[in-house]
Amino acid sequence: MATDVMIQASSVSKRFGHVRALDKVNFEVKRGEVVGFLGPNGAGKSTTMRILTCYIAPTAGTAKVNGHDVFEEPLAVRQAIGYLPQRAPLYTDMNVMEYLKFAAEIRGLDDSVFKKRLKKVVEVCGLAQSLGKEIGTLSHGYRQRVGLGQALIHDPPILILDEPTSDLDPNEKAEVLRYIKEIGKDRTILLSTHNLAEVEEACARAIIVSKGRVVADGPLDSITSKTGRVRYVIAIDEKNAEMGKKAPGIAEVQSALGAVAGVRSTKELPTDETAHKLELIGPQDTDLRAELFRLVVQKGWTLLELRRDAQSLDAVFRDLTKGDERADRGAAWASAHAPEDDDESEGDDEDEDEKPVANAAKSAAADDEEDEDDEDSDDEDSDDEDEDEDEKQPERKG
Amino acid sequence: MSPMITIAKREFRSYFDSPLAYVVMCLSFLALGFMFFMLRGGFWQTDRATVQKVFEFTPWGLSLLVIPVVTMRLVAEERRSGTLEMLITLPVRDSDVIGGKYLGALGLVLVLVAGTLLYPIAMFKAPWHLGPLDTGPVASGYLGLFLFSAAGVAIGLLVSSLVETQAISFFITFTLLGTLWFLDDMAEISGQGAVGNVLRYVSFQTRLAGFWRGLIDTRDVVYFLSVTAVALVTSFRALERRKWA
Repeated sequence: MATDVMIQASSVSKRFGHVRALDKVNFEVKRGEVVGFLGPNGAGKSTTMRILTCYIAPTAGTAKVNGHDVFEEPLAVRQAIGYLPQRAPLYTDMNVMEYLKFAAEIRGLDDSVFKKRLKKVVEVCGLAQSLGKEIGTLSHGYRQRVGLGQALIHDPPILILDEPTSDLDPNEKAEVLRYIKEIGKDRTILLSTHNLAEVEEACARAIIVSKGRVVADGPLDSITSKTGRVRYVIAIDEKNAEMGKKAPGIAEVQSALGAVAGVRSTKELPTDETAHKLELIGPQDTDLRAELFRLVVQKGWTLLELRRDAQSLDAVFRDLTKGDERADRGAAWASAHAPEDDDESEGDDEDEDEKPVANAAKSAAADDEEDEDDEDSDDEDSDDEDEDEDEKQPERKG
Repeated sequence: MSPMITIAKREFRSYFDSPLAYVVMCLSFLALGFMFFMLRGGFWQTDRATVQKVFEFTPWGLSLLVIPVVTMRLVAEERRSGTLEMLITLPVRDSDVIGGKYLGALGLVLVLVAGTLLYPIAMFKAPWHLGPLDTGPVASGYLGLFLFSAAGVAIGLLVSSLVETQAISFFITFTLLGTLWFLDDMAEISGQGAVGNVLRYVSFQTRLAGFWRGLIDTRDVVYFLSVTAVALVTSFRALERRKWA
């Protein structure tokens, strides 16, 4: 694989009025990489893609695509990319053939080249049966295929696909994903989605954005270990114990396991009435299974299950972006308006819940973000700091 | 083929892929026929064999129906449906998009204007032979209609670039063009004072009156061309502002 940088975002920020959509986003995508661009709704995925495709301009920072600055050389950038916006907005009054021809004409393809490319695109995207059909009559899945087809018609070295599988049924999703994998063999692809299974299937690398910032960037296995935590699941028989000992209660089990060195937290998992099942969180670099096993033997409990899970991408994603979801659901508003004599234990739980998230986000971002970025987690303060820092960036205004 | 022409071709064809163009054509020709033959006594009550009424009435239809309908969706609808993003992220300049859409819409309006050629042909060639055709006023009348259409479509495109929905675009364009047309009548009411003079200066009707009589005044030509240019440049800026929103 060559190492040329095909997409480069350097401290890209974007504000819509007072809303900060992107905040000093940095990443690179190299030739031949298929990169998943992940984030919850409103995290800044589409804004980033719109900047990379020159649809909107960054407020500060620079972005280059295929070596061309998106602000200085938009035509060269657009010539080098194939772009499929969210929900594949196409001219529904045209038929598929007319639409592909239209895209080819705008891209300056002559007839002979168009015919050659059309053959390939029809084959890859599975459009043979629908070439003569009006786009307005096609299902969402076929419209996505047409959108992919127009993005591929000029054989671009770079593809930018914004949620190409949204609104599709599972069969259509699987097919579109198969196309992406097929065409990704010899192209650079930036694929935005919040479907993590898709990323795990199609991409070797992921970039996770949250609240307009890159919170994780790297190979999938590296990202899944970014939180620095490992999950253990342990089940103890709650009816029987060894050597005539009394079967343990949940409080005893939880307390004993929680006291094992390295265990950061314990949580009871739902199960039937035959076992106590708990989730333990431990450090990434240590395997606690032997220690846990010894404890169970020493206590004379009956061990039904013990396993160690690496954090799934799904779990990492949730951890890294949980703040967005909480904000959306009004957690900050609710706590600000909560009565003073509210149940304290509930508040404590929330806090405990937050700590690993904040730690995870910090550790994940540590490799890629500057130290100063980590300091401004408080929203009010960060606004002021960012404005100061934005001034250091070359401002672009129309 | 330049991207602008490709966009213009698509825009022009798209009118005929929906009933819109046909409905607008039928309605406007019906209205013109009614006004030409029936309004204020109609053509047969006029002492002179002239098609001047075509040039007087056609701008009414263009202002109040054709141009608002044809231009309302140009940018507003594309922005709403998201196709504008798809179009602009192809390798085209914003000026290609504005220029292409303008030419496509103007093309349809000019097809309608060309349809009115039936009147002089029917009057002076076949089936009626009302004498020799005075080509001077007819040619200048059509030049006036062309310039008027160019300015009107540019204004419609500008409005469509500024608003979010095609319905709002229709009503604003309708109001603007209607006002610009009937300013002359308002000038009559306000008399010969400064206000009246300004209204007369701006009125599209006043500017076209010379063309109907076969008089091509450079000031009128420059006026229409200036309105067109200003509206197109502003449309371009309106499209460009998305970058900085």
